[in-house]
Amino acid sequence: MSKISALVLTGYGLNCDHETAYALELAGASAIRVHINDLIDRKALLADFRILVFGGGFSWGDDHGAGVIQAVRLKTNIGGDILEFIEKGNLVLGICNGFQTLVNLGLLPGFDHDYQTRSVALVNNDCGNFRNDWVRLKVNAGSPCIFTRGLDSFELPIRHGEGKFYAEHLVLDRLEQNNQVALRYASKDGSPAQGEFPFNPNGSIRDIAGICDSTGRVFGLMPHPEAYNHWTNHPDWTLQKRRQHPGDLASETTAGIRIFQNAVKYLRNG
Amino acid sequence: MPYRLEITIKPDQHDAEGQSVRQKAKAYFGIELSEVRTIRVVTIDATLSAAQLEAVRREVFTNPVTQISSYDPLPVDADWMIWIGLRPGVKDNAGATAREAIEDILGIRMSPDEAVYTSKRYCLKGEGLDLKTMERLAGSLLANDIIQQWKIFSRNTWDPRNGIGIIVPKVVLNHRPTVTSLPIATNEILQKISDERNLALNPNDIPVIRAYFLDPKVRAEREKVGLGDPTDVELEYISQARSDHCNHNTFQGRFLYRDLETGYADEADNLFKTCIKDPTLTLQQQKDWVISVLWDNAGAGRFDEGHYYVITGETHNSPSNMEAYGGAITGIVGVYRDPMGTGLGSKLIMGSYGFCTGLRDYDGPLKPRLHPRRLLDGVIEGVRDGGNKSGIPTPFGQVYFHSGYMGKCLVFVTALGIMPAFVNGEPAEQKRTEPGQLAIMCGGRVGKDGIHGVTASSEVFSENTPAGHVQIGDPYTQKKMHDFLLEARDQGMIRFITDNGGGGLSSSIGESARFSNGCEIELEKVPLKYEGLDQWEIWISESQERMTVAVDPKDLDRFMELSAKHAVESTVIGRYTDSGKLHITYEGKTCAYVDLDLVTAGFPQWEFEAHWLPPAMRGLVEPALKAPVDYAALLCDMMARPNICSREWIIRQYDHEVQGTSVIKPLVGVDRDCNTDAAVIRPVLDSMKGLAFSQALLPAYSAIDAYHMTTCTIDEAVRRLIAVGGGLEHIGGVDNFCWPNIQYHPTENPDGKFKAAQLVRSCNALRDLCLDYGIPLLSGKDSMYVDGYLEGRYGEMHKVSALPTLQFSATGVIEDVSLCVTMDCKAAGDRVYVLGVTRNELGASEYYEHLGHLGSLVPQVFPEPFKRLYRALSLAVEKQLVASIHGIYRGGLGVHLAMTAMGGNLGIAADLSRVPVEGVSREDKILFSESAGRFIATVPPESGEAFEKLFEGLPCAHIGNVTEKADLEICGLNRQVLFRVAVDDLKAAWKRPFGDLI
Repeated sequence: MSKISALVLTGYGLNCDHETAYALELAGASAIRVHINDLIDRKALLADFRILVFGGGFSWGDDHGAGVIQAVRLKTNIGGDILEFIEKGNLVLGICNGFQTLVNLGLLPGFDHDYQTRSVALVNNDCGNFRNDWVRLKVNAGSPCIFTRGLDSFELPIRHGEGKFYAEHLVLDRLEQNNQVALRYASKDGSPAQGEFPFNPNGSIRDIAGICDSTGRVFGLMPHPEAYNHWTNHPDWTLQKRRQHPGDLASETTAGIRIFQNAVKYLRNG
Repeated sequence: MPYRLEITIKPDQHDAEGQSVRQKAKAYFGIELSEVRTIRVVTIDATLSAAQLEAVRREVFTNPVTQISSYDPLPVDADWMIWIGLRPGVKDNAGATAREAIEDILGIRMSPDEAVYTSKRYCLKGEGLDLKTMERLAGSLLANDIIQQWKIFSRNTWDPRNGIGIIVPKVVLNHRPTVTSLPIATNEILQKISDERNLALNPNDIPVIRAYFLDPKVRAEREKVGLGDPTDVELEYISQARSDHCNHNTFQGRFLYRDLETGYADEADNLFKTCIKDPTLTLQQQKDWVISVLWDNAGAGRFDEGHYYVITGETHNSPSNMEAYGGAITGIVGVYRDPMGTGLGSKLIMGSYGFCTGLRDYDGPLKPRLHPRRLLDGVIEGVRDGGNKSGIPTPFGQVYFHSGYMGKCLVFVTALGIMPAFVNGEPAEQKRTEPGQLAIMCGGRVGKDGIHGVTASSEVFSENTPAGHVQIGDPYTQKKMHDFLLEARDQGMIRFITDNGGGGLSSSIGESARFSNGCEIELEKVPLKYEGLDQWEIWISESQERMTVAVDPKDLDRFMELSAKHAVESTVIGRYTDSGKLHITYEGKTCAYVDLDLVTAGFPQWEFEAHWLPPAMRGLVEPALKAPVDYAALLCDMMARPNICSREWIIRQYDHEVQGTSVIKPLVGVDRDCNTDAAVIRPVLDSMKGLAFSQALLPAYSAIDAYHMTTCTIDEAVRRLIAVGGGLEHIGGVDNFCWPNIQYHPTENPDGKFKAAQLVRSCNALRDLCLDYGIPLLSGKDSMYVDGYLEGRYGEMHKVSALPTLQFSATGVIEDVSLCVTMDCKAAGDRVYVLGVTRNELGASEYYEHLGHLGSLVPQVFPEPFKRLYRALSLAVEKQLVASIHGIYRGGLGVHLAMTAMGGNLGIAADLSRVPVEGVSREDKILFSESAGRFIATVPPESGEAFEKLFEGLPCAHIGNVTEKADLEICGLNRQVLFRVAVDDLKAAWKRPFGDLI
């Protein structure tokens, strides 16, 4: 069986491409890092891939709103290709800066298959600063999101200055009604963070950490699953090791990798 | 025609930036603002149609969900408004990306004359605000006048139609580039030229320079290329190459050392050679993991068979002291170019920071240019943006407060990279230029940036004078270049690579041309930010984000194509030759023609007198101090001391997990809030091997003896590595010296000879301990003038010198990261051990400092017994016998037992009578002595016996146990409870000083 092929964008200040490609490989995909300009110049063709990942970083320095200029450049040059890619049943994942790009492209929330309207935003953290911390996340079991299937509550790192999810109330209601809110920030026990810092690290409205489109095939999240590619990435691993056998720890697949595995599994079965 | 677009957050939404200004205004100046809204201003100086303007407004600059915008002034209600923009020529990163975005969406190319500028308008509300308050906010919080300009409007002076007006900070020089020849008939004339042009030539160098240019043979050669007297390009080049910054004249000088107590005299000829180079070469012979040292931009050690790691450390003190943000971001982005320019090029894998400033809450009479609090805010943000936007994790750092850094702050930046062992079958750590290869400049463009550093700041500013002497690093441009160059490297196209840092092209071309033994450079090819630079300015400008690369002509087309793909500017500016000459032309006319070896040969050594006064001769004695009673309160206060307390607010601003390599994070423990001993990353993702990294600085000990300051600093860095799982067999070091001026002057620097003696002692200590511990110095730098003049209460000027400071960085390779250990205690019932001997060594300790004493008995390092202990501990880690290890550092056993307990949120019950001691019999001394060579380890009970067996014959004592009840309970020498304090209280005290900061 040939591997599911994944494209990870690089260039213009993007910076999580190596570990994102590595995480995809661990999950069983064949991942290639492709420069944005190679995609625009058709030196690489989206049509050759099943998963498109907009990864983390500071595209164009993020000086004019995170992910904004990346979205403008992609929309202007290959907007049609991306829409076609989604229509063909493929998967799109946006992580951190990639999530910001997806909402600025309008690929999210993608109400009624409208993948071009900007109706949600990721704005400056309420704490007023860039923040790196691990957060607990709670999956909405009712969400159609492909990427979070089978996951319930887990931890991932966040690393951003502009991660506060914001939208008008009507938009938020609609997101919730459609179960498009796939991932929320949670307290230690897995219950909703209810806006409480640092559990909700950025002041996101309704604790929203990640949303998908109505098909569940386009997913954006602020936390970084690719940075939990190994059990020693977890902040508690030395404590866990004291409590249980290290062999057991090493054999578990991390929650970060399971997100990528879900994508591969879906395409393989579909 | 210029257009001004204003953008702001919709009125019903939270303005996080405005809120932060409000909080700082209150906290720093007691200024109450009821509301602050920020407006971003984008000034587009280009010819665009109405439709184009609307397209960029809507698509690029305005988020329809959260923002509103207009080409007319936005009607945001305010009592006062402050507009802040950059001065002409200051790097406007956001302006540059705005231009890219506009060009992209409109499918146009702006002309070189057109540009986009960004600025900000703050709208403030509050009771009783006046102009003076606004000026204070503008000048002391929102802007720095050396890079920024501002305008203040009140409700009455604001014109809602014109707003701030249209301000275009464009550089206009109206200058025709000119090469000047300078006659140097006498030494006095050349000295005068040096003074007038700020060349800072050493008087001893002047006759050597003259002799060269007056040599009839040289004159005859020069005549053939149309030159006579030296040109300004040549003299500026020599000045750069001979500067202490580039040439390390101080470290290579001759020191006449004398101990004024014993009369012992010694001549130290070239400290760099005797204390750094020779020991490192000796160790390289013994250790096959040492790959490349002492010649390249960074040193290299073997990570595994297929990879080498590289490391270097720098400081960026003077620029940061003037403009904290700009200096620090330029520093970190600059040091990241060193690994990029090491061997055939390395990928960046981590960075670290060290900040030394005055006390954050200083409220004394001295008036530094920037208050320490503001300075610290700025350097934190600068390193944050520089590191985070480069996609490089920052998992380690340190901050040290001392009044001596009020004269000049220290900003240490360290960079690590990794390279494959081979590129296209060629050893990746080697490189050279060959005649016929092309010299290519990649990355940013050249402006007046950094020319003669701070001297330019005294020039009078006009509306269009470039203020580029203070730089602002541009991580975005550099990240693109980094990705490009690594791809070019992997395709085998890079023959030589080095960065453009101090000295700019003059340094990078000068150094690279030494391999081929010559070059011809056409200066008019160098891309400029704006017209009107003189040739010498192009040659020595320190404009950032540039690398110099040598490429074979056959690879040129492929190289340029790849460069274009990555949106990086690359330009052929000349070629390498074997003529022995540095030959520079401008539009075909020669403007420099000198022998390449001129700057390395024949210059006299600098000379220093170094007089050592031992502590006793300086009147230092141990304090007459009786033991305290209230230990619980004392320990809580110790935890809250500025150099011990939590700095979580800084650490969390730094992305320490990008690249997915994190193993041991900067904050560890069950609540993830305690400082790790060292950082560990897994730079090769599919390998279990790790790279451990630590740093230490202990300048306080310099007040007693810089020799012991140095050995203790190195020992601490080593122990930090051992604590996480490193081993003595592989430790690489980086020394960063920051010293006050050591040149004696009877009135300006009356204690210069003593400071010079401290430097000699420190270098000797470095040599001694590196040889004892087997630490090759993979890299190192020095910054020699950490002094400043500060105005006092009555207008008098004080010279403030920093304590002699050494930052020591250490690296280790860990075979299997799953064996790594963190500092937090893990489980109740685990045994608590103290390893190493506690001695009567409280001189310059936190404890004495807290009680207002200095003392005289400074901690010392005893290499042989320490090494035996460290080896045993490494073995215990390898056998997985320990649950936690934590070194005992500043503050001593009491403070660090508290840290171990705080890490696990568990208690520790310990008995001081069991602690291995030598010559100490008082509880306060056992608790707060800062003896080197010690650790705290917690060990599961079932491993206790095996653990103790490893330490037979070594100082190792089971002093107590980890307890479920989270109290620190300490028994005194009489075995009775001396004090008990809740770990929660200790943690609260530790977090109190900076706990409100985010």
